[in-house]
Amino acid sequence: MEKIDVNTLTAEQINFMLILHSGNARSKIIEALREYRAGKPEVADELLVQAEADLSVAHEIHFKLVQQEASGNKVEFALLLMHAEDHLMSTLSMKELVKELLEIFKEKKL
Amino acid sequence: MKKILLACSAGMSTSLLVTKMEEHAKTIGEEAKIWAVGQDKAKQDMAEADVVLIGPQMSFLKGELQKAADQYGIKVDVIDMMAYGLADGKKAYEQALTLMGDK
Repeated sequence: MEKIDVNTLTAEQINFMLILHSGNARSKIIEALREYRAGKPEVADELLVQAEADLSVAHEIHFKLVQQEASGNKVEFALLLMHAEDHLMSTLSMKELVKELLEIFKEKKL
Repeated sequence: MKKILLACSAGMSTSLLVTKMEEHAKTIGEEAKIWAVGQDKAKQDMAEADVVLIGPQMSFLKGELQKAADQYGIKVDVIDMMAYGLADGKKAYEQALTLMGDK
């Protein structure tokens, strides 16, 4: 996907972008677990790396929102924004957990 | 009448996309039934759809959903990233039509 300048997006589109990138990461994290189960730990690791890249794009967008508000330019509240936050935060915890789990599985040779 | 089902984890983001797709269908004068559901209801509702589009957060479920959709002879695909990220109703609608073929 080509790089999009966040500054050109509407508030709603920004929320969608957040959900998109967190959502892509979420899918890859679950696929990582599945690949591990299927006996392909290296594919699982690669998927987690990709998920982290997706999350960092989402984070970048999120950071811009935080900066915007910090500079006195209030971010408009919307249920969709709350939903996007939910997506991002839950996916971040998922990523941390799955990463730890895969390490445990590897150590215990599961 | 084109029947397009959208699904995402809570059915929330896709609900907004539905509105935009409906607006587009209206401007080009096409009759379409477009609705959004959460992932739990997707398998049930696809019985009435011509095509199923899913959110990126559900792309890991594509295989499973396609399997369920096979019995109705319909296609399941992940919403195009650009269409989703920009909440582009026209693009998502066109993607649905392409998947539907000549249904």
